[in-house]
Amino acid sequence: MRGPWFTHGCSHQLVFYKSFKKVFDFLTPRKWDCHVVLRSLFANVTPLTMGLAFTLRLFGAPALHEQIDDLVRAKAGDVPFAGATDDASFLRRVTLDLTGNIPAPSDVNAFLKAPSADKRTAHIDKLLSSNAFAVHWADRLTVMLLERQDQGTVTNEQWRHFLESSLQKKPAWDVMVRHMIEAKGHGSERPAMKFLGTANHHTMTENIARLFLGMDLTCARCHDHPSVEAWKQSDYWGLFAYLNPTRQATHKTENQVYLVEDLATTKIEFESVFNPGKKTTGPRLPHGKEVEIPTFEEGDQYEKPAEEGLPAVPRFHPRELLARDLTAADNFLFARNSVNRMWFLLMGQGLFHPLDEMHDHNPPSHPQLLDLLGHEFVAHAFDLKWLLREILLSETYQRDSRLPEGISQVDPTGYQVCSPKPLTPEQLLRAVLRATGNPQYGAARQTEQKANPETKKFDRKGYFTGSNTELPPSLEEAEAIFALTFGQSPGKAEVDFTPGLNKALFLMNDRMVHHWLQPREGNLIDRLQNTTGTNEVARQLYLSVLSRLPEEEEQLAVEDYLQQIPSRRPAALADLAWALLNSAEFRFNH
Amino acid sequence: MHPEFQNFACGSPAHAISRRRMLGTLGGLAGFGSLLHPAIARQVCNQHKRVCLIWLDGGISQYESWHPLPDSKFAGPFRSIHTSLPGVRFSELMPQTAKIAHKISVIRTMATKDPDHSTGVPRIQRGDPLDRGVDYPTLGSAIARLLGPANPELPPYIWIKPGNGGFIHREAGFLGAQYGALALGDGRPPIHIHRPETVSAEVDMARNLLRQKANQRFTAYRNSSDVDAYETSYKMARQLMARKDIFDDNLLDPKDRARYGSHPLGRHMLQARQLLEAGVRFVKVNSYHWDTHGDNFNMSQRLVPQIDQPFAALVNDLDDRGMLEDTLVIVMSEFGRTPIINSRLGRDHWPDCWSIALAGGGTRPGAIVGETTADGAFVNSQGYDIGHLFHTIFTLLGINPQETRYHNKSQQLAIARDDCQPIREVML
Repeated sequence: MRGPWFTHGCSHQLVFYKSFKKVFDFLTPRKWDCHVVLRSLFANVTPLTMGLAFTLRLFGAPALHEQIDDLVRAKAGDVPFAGATDDASFLRRVTLDLTGNIPAPSDVNAFLKAPSADKRTAHIDKLLSSNAFAVHWADRLTVMLLERQDQGTVTNEQWRHFLESSLQKKPAWDVMVRHMIEAKGHGSERPAMKFLGTANHHTMTENIARLFLGMDLTCARCHDHPSVEAWKQSDYWGLFAYLNPTRQATHKTENQVYLVEDLATTKIEFESVFNPGKKTTGPRLPHGKEVEIPTFEEGDQYEKPAEEGLPAVPRFHPRELLARDLTAADNFLFARNSVNRMWFLLMGQGLFHPLDEMHDHNPPSHPQLLDLLGHEFVAHAFDLKWLLREILLSETYQRDSRLPEGISQVDPTGYQVCSPKPLTPEQLLRAVLRATGNPQYGAARQTEQKANPETKKFDRKGYFTGSNTELPPSLEEAEAIFALTFGQSPGKAEVDFTPGLNKALFLMNDRMVHHWLQPREGNLIDRLQNTTGTNEVARQLYLSVLSRLPEEEEQLAVEDYLQQIPSRRPAALADLAWALLNSAEFRFNH
Repeated sequence: MHPEFQNFACGSPAHAISRRRMLGTLGGLAGFGSLLHPAIARQVCNQHKRVCLIWLDGGISQYESWHPLPDSKFAGPFRSIHTSLPGVRFSELMPQTAKIAHKISVIRTMATKDPDHSTGVPRIQRGDPLDRGVDYPTLGSAIARLLGPANPELPPYIWIKPGNGGFIHREAGFLGAQYGALALGDGRPPIHIHRPETVSAEVDMARNLLRQKANQRFTAYRNSSDVDAYETSYKMARQLMARKDIFDDNLLDPKDRARYGSHPLGRHMLQARQLLEAGVRFVKVNSYHWDTHGDNFNMSQRLVPQIDQPFAALVNDLDDRGMLEDTLVIVMSEFGRTPIINSRLGRDHWPDCWSIALAGGGTRPGAIVGETTADGAFVNSQGYDIGHLFHTIFTLLGINPQETRYHNKSQQLAIARDDCQPIREVML
């Protein structure tokens, strides 16, 4: 069922939909039934709902960000909430979240001085339309989708270009995902095929289930999920059946790898390791209808003959169907999973968490909110920037991370305060570079390397053992060193914060960080050295590293430390910066 | 099934906790026992238990070590010698170990499945778990997870190996990076344990005070276990930096060095003793190049003494220090070597019947377990797979392998194969 009002409709129909839904929720014990019933009902009464929606729009339903706040408050009941965070920490938070960096000291000054009305909204809009947003969200989506694995034949550069150019425009998440799964391999759509890697069938099946449906179906490969009743072995193999005909093939003259499909004529056979007996399934999405495998007359199965090492193209392309049906507006699993992952990226935890456990035993903290976000995301044609913007505009996002007075403990899933999020490896490197005033680090070598790819390879392992005493010569290498230290190992989702000995040791003692804290023309320590007056030193230091002004007590501490050892001023300044770089306030986005 | 079990495996309260999981082992945090199955929490009274796994990569020949059969048709040129155990003989390449045979035990009927290095090494080190669609932890990471650090100041799993070191995450499999190994490449700790030379200890102290002050201000009005865990990771890091001496092999007694041998395996096993003494829970020592497909006998003549000498020294030292009772020492490979001598005077891979040695930690001193065919080629009593050995190791450490489960998201995973049992003959 493809709900036309869903794809073409406007969001306010949803208000109407929801009021019906409440009644149905009440009457029907199972939510899913309610959705199905309502959607089929609505699909048939489109003209009517269109009219109603128009009427409702005239009255003006609250914006999504207001509804978010209402639902969060409604769930919490009578508990105190932290107030809005101050301007400096708002700026740091949103700049890190959208551009992957801390704000420059001049930006902090300007933002603090700007007249107050609407400046937060204006700044969110400015950041969302910046190139830095596209670059940083390409990082975030890459880490989410590829999990730090370099897979397939598409280069990282081409893949990033695909993401960045989508993010620069009005990114439609469904279209982006559709391209990843269609994996056509031609023209501007080619880079998206990197997501499917080398077309390993089980890897593709598991990744699509996990990343796009919120279902970790690994167990269901061999049997129905032992504790999640809703996850069946047939769900795994239904998904698998879409992908089974896919394989890699190389075009001879282009010398390029494509993901081609062989002729599919039969269903997939599977058997539970617990219950003997073969079963079969054709392509099928969880909760969806099985796709009939069409039969063609002998000689008519192909639409294009084999050529140049690529096999003949069958008339039946199940992968294209998967791309279409997975991302369709009526696949609510996709919409819910998508909004949950975006919510996680901004709020530090999913509405259901872990992110790939969307099932009855792991209920969302705010079920209505999850539903609402999903519906609205669909209604806004999966516009990623719109969704992020609404979340960012909410009070829930903009709350202070400090506890309200009289409270010593909060449940992080109640969103009474903002939960601090650790910086990602990419954010951390950029933040350290900006804080220490070395934003150009490695730029020269990067250009050189591009011009001459033969340049000696940097020994990363040796960097950690001490056999390589060079500094990473390029930003790319510095990024790799940070990812190796602060990131998860390849193939592991980067979701939960795991501080560790090695990470602490790295920030404390790393040569590169130490190098950035030596005075060099124009960097932080150099500027501080040439600053007169300890108050001004403290001001510059705090603005640069923590993106805020120091408090009086902190100013005194700076003064005190500098007076203790006046003979070694540059080193003492580096000590002060080191202490702030290694503090939790720097390490977290709060 | 334990009543609290289901709740832990799937319920969101457990997820909430696991999400807030802190440093785990590379940080080693007191209190993370609370994440474990309650049965384990009760068992964590075995705080003093340690393990030293000596891994002879490639496969030591049982005929040239633990199970010489000089009169069999598969014999090589070496004789067998008497040991301190009446009636038990080792290869003449193991004169030192022969003197302490009464302190150790040998299983001569290991019968495993995998004849290839590339699959055998990870499979054996992970206990050959059933395929549950996840990557299991290796023994060191498993024990780091199940028992945590013995000394909270030190990481629970240290791996001494030739070549590169660093923090090796993949050892931990699905347990997550924090249960990986701190690897000492050529016996040296990762470079980041050292302060930059220009920063004196005094300055380091002063700047760390500044850091702490900044953190106190930040944490005063916040309540986040992530932030708390971050501060703890710094505490751990500073503690480890303060104990750099345990990695410094220059501080080792020259007499000890002579007893263990100057070759890498000897040096690394002496270092292992030092780490075990300092309170490291699990030390793995790797030695490579035991894959004697060609020239097995010359190679064995050169290699076997390199394990004979330091193994005997280690067992004696642990015994002298009163640590043997609580320290399990395991000497093993991914398989043994073929009875048949190939055309290059080598022996090939042989998982069907091979030997391992154990000492201390509750093993039965002097136990020689298993009966083989007269030529040593096949098992003639009960054969033991790696799953049996994992059950044995866990049981010796006070972990009940039948009851204890890992919780990987909604999966409950056995810590050792359900179809195996402990090898009782080798246990006290």
